Amino acid sequence: MSQPRPPNAPSASGNPSAPPQKEPSSSHTTGLRYPSNGKTIYHRHLSRSKTAELSQASFAYLFSEMVTYAQRRVTGIQDLEKRLNTQGHPLGLKLLDLLLIREPPRSQSRPLNIITLLHFIKINLWQHLFGRQADRLEKSSDPDAPDEYMIIDNEPLVNAYVSVPKEMSQLNCAAFVAGIIEGVCDGAVFPARVTAHSVGSKEEGEMWPGKTVFLVKFQPEVLEREALIGGKG
Amino acid sequence: MCVSLIQPPIHQSHRHTKRLSRTVFALIIINKAGGLIYNRTFHEGGLNKISTNELLVLAGTFHGVHAITARLNPIPTPGANRNSASSAGTMMRPEPPSGLEVLESENFRLQCFTTLTGIKFLLFTDTTQTNVDLTMRRVYEMYTDYVMKNPFYQLEMPVRCDMFDRKLLSYIREINNR
Amino acid sequence: MSYYFAILSPLDTPLFEHEFGTSKSGGDGQPRFTDQARHLNQFILHSSLDIVEELQWTQPGLYLKVIDKFFQNYISAFVTASNVKFLLLHQPTTSVPTTTTTGGGGGANGGVVNTAQAAASSRVNSTSVGANPTSPQTEEAIKNFMNEVYENYVKAVMSPFYKAPNMEIRSPVFRQRVAAAGRKYL
Repeated sequence: MSQPRPPNAPSASGNPSAPPQKEPSSSHTTGLRYPSNGKTIYHRHLSRSKTAELSQASFAYLFSEMVTYAQRRVTGIQDLEKRLNTQGHPLGLKLLDLLLIREPPRSQSRPLNIITLLHFIKINLWQHLFGRQADRLEKSSDPDAPDEYMIIDNEPLVNAYVSVPKEMSQLNCAAFVAGIIEGVCDGAVFPARVTAHSVGSKEEGEMWPGKTVFLVKFQPEVLEREALIGGKG
Repeated sequence: MCVSLIQPPIHQSHRHTKRLSRTVFALIIINKAGGLIYNRTFHEGGLNKISTNELLVLAGTFHGVHAITARLNPIPTPGANRNSASSAGTMMRPEPPSGLEVLESENFRLQCFTTLTGIKFLLFTDTTQTNVDLTMRRVYEMYTDYVMKNPFYQLEMPVRCDMFDRKLLSYIREINNR
Repeated sequence: MSYYFAILSPLDTPLFEHEFGTSKSGGDGQPRFTDQARHLNQFILHSSLDIVEELQWTQPGLYLKVIDKFFQNYISAFVTASNVKFLLLHQPTTSVPTTTTTGGGGGANGGVVNTAQAAASSRVNSTSVGANPTSPQTEEAIKNFMNEVYENYVKAVMSPFYKAPNMEIRSPVFRQRVAAAGRKYL
């Protein structure tokens, strides 16, 4: 894949006589528009004060609309879960970089093995999204499935107000969160398939009726690499 | 009119125990077209059991009575209105007539709360029940949380939300056991 | 000293390219690549990707320092969390023959003040950031440059209209920011 491709570079770098930088006034050539105060996304800080919180109610309404939107013209529960997953996926990809850069410079490091990655998800990602850590992290006890890991949340925030109708009992709307997790894994080059499963009704169902297990199933090449680098880092 | 549909408890002795325990009997939710979209009984024996059909009739009838009572609302005297308007300094829009709010009988009390969107919450309680306003407010809050924020709920349709049921039951149980 | 900077997606497609020259020690910030070198640069940069892919699993840090050298072209690499690669090709100026990459050892002859101007300028170059591509100062300067670009890259990614991680970055503001980081550190 390292074969060079013809760059589709903007003219500034290809033409030696072009000015070294483009001024925002050249916006008519790029078709971009700028806010009247000239502040773009690049003028904003990446870090955010700890108290900056969002309204759970507005998120609940937004999420409700997202589920409704995903429900249009779906063929079944699996299709619906897949769409929710797809909605979450780009978030994971983007959050991975954002959360890393918000770490103090000394502890900025890329996850190199499965455990570091899952801890990053359980601690950093959950803290950022839901204001607390995930409840548990487990490795599948099934010897036939060494590629399966489980992230457990006793009451997923996205499901706080969701009651799934009986005829759709297979559905767990936390598939959206599973998509975010999948995005993080894919972004960090640990390609995986992540699915959300409700387990509240079986064990300790009375205590946590909304208990959800996020099943992370890594692709074989991830385990292969893990064995090669010996779980360093 | 409404009262005749719900019979008082049959057993006299039973009624006396009820008086002491202060109970929330039932909740009914009526949509803005007068259709019954939710009903739940919290205390067996407080009210006579009636069939679903009768409940539907009850909901529709109450809806009509409520509309009539809203029309019967006395018009506020123009003088008083002008006074309040001048004191506020701005044009005050008079409160819309609320219609029937409380219906009391010997054996139960019915409190009705109409939301801005025209949904009616009917709470049947013991006559001595206190803080019904607060209970009503909490029930409305749960409705907005667990019904309105539920992606699978369609407006004006019957409420079938596990989460709403669960939270409502545990809240009312807490009141009834106090 | 001339620089060629490129951002490559996890699928190795170029997302952003920028050429610039040093602004330190009186540099005018213009690249001094010949037309031929300009084409070659892309090949050199891409050919170092294999090395990046090996190195990135041996250390968790983002900045991998100088990872490859092709004649006078040094490649420094930086890998983001989402496996996007920042590659910087730096080429010490070859047009001035008096400048050597191992310079600095000669030291300044304190007594001789009437040395030719040209020699003086070469001596200034020898202690500057770009002259020795593997010196700790250069490493630090490139690290700062990379970190600043990373910050702006994350901002670019945060845009709701940006589809991570495989979309060309076209924002002129981003280009300005990269150029400014180049002027500041390199």
